[in-house]
Amino acid sequence: MFTFSIAQWQGWAENLVDPQEWERWARAPFCPLGGKPKTSKLGFLPPIQRRRLSTLARGVFECAWPLAEKRRRNAPLVFASRHGETRRSFQLLQTLAAGEPLSPTSFCLSVHNAIAAQWSIMRGETAESVALAAEDDGLEHAFIEAVLMLRAGHEEVLVVVAEERPPSAYARWIADVPHSYVTAFQLRSGNDWSLTLNPVVPSPTKLTRDTDSMQLAPPPTPLWPNPLNLLRHLLLGTLSWQHAGANSPRRWRWTRNSTPSGQPTA
Amino acid sequence: MTQSLEQELKSLVIDALGLEDITPDDIENTAPLFGDGLGLDSVDALELGLALQKRYKITIDPETRNMRDHFSSIANLAAFIRNQQAA
Repeated sequence: MFTFSIAQWQGWAENLVDPQEWERWARAPFCPLGGKPKTSKLGFLPPIQRRRLSTLARGVFECAWPLAEKRRRNAPLVFASRHGETRRSFQLLQTLAAGEPLSPTSFCLSVHNAIAAQWSIMRGETAESVALAAEDDGLEHAFIEAVLMLRAGHEEVLVVVAEERPPSAYARWIADVPHSYVTAFQLRSGNDWSLTLNPVVPSPTKLTRDTDSMQLAPPPTPLWPNPLNLLRHLLLGTLSWQHAGANSPRRWRWTRNSTPSGQPTA
Repeated sequence: MTQSLEQELKSLVIDALGLEDITPDDIENTAPLFGDGLGLDSVDALELGLALQKRYKITIDPETRNMRDHFSSIANLAAFIRNQQAA
């Protein structure tokens, strides 16, 4: 079991940036596509620095930068993305297919840890960073990675989970990114939250007396991405829920051990 | 009036390197492009070299002497391209 506290968090999606909009989304989730997306201005970065940031990187910076500004410098970063910058990869593949030379800039930024590296350079943060690509439980793996860093002595760790809406050519293979989104969490050591892998399913005899049917039925697959599901439960104050990926045997249970005001729930 | 090669190169630098908030008029012909000047770096040099090869059908031989000088300013780049095209 992994325990931790979430000191701050922030979500970002096209047309979904303000806290009030997230509140509205949490009560009745909707797909924020459509309309003219609010472009990330990133006014806190000089143009010479932000020019190489991809759309996904801009989302990451817009989401996580204000969070990072409120905390102490030099905290480790865990960056997680299942699919990464599919738009950049697709562009590079198309260039190769056409027999043209690759853009050196795009090529050197096509690695999975490019956004984490740009974050480190632009913020001048020299603490370690990790770039993960996991199946549909990348959020949980990112949190585990962060908890291990906390246990190793770091006071806080920034977790960023980001996905970019892939080019339409990928539509048959990528079904879990209905729209681009970024979530950022500042984690600290603590016991506010527990994350457990494969909770024990109660025995059938206990089953009849157990009123918590949540323990028995497989959790429904939400229509919105799992990291956004965490934001939703944070906003709604949900005490406990489960997550299992569509193809994954792993089942996770998230449990809030104290209310947002810090009072124990038990 | 046709655009001068220098003016064309300024637009190419801005487009190829994604320089936001900069117009061709902001770049002086003799001002340094790299380091303390416009602030370009080694990745920009590669990107710019590729853009020049595509646009002007020139070949840039890494063994060329004084390559650093050729890329140091718009004026030097223009001279380098005229020289290559004449060769």
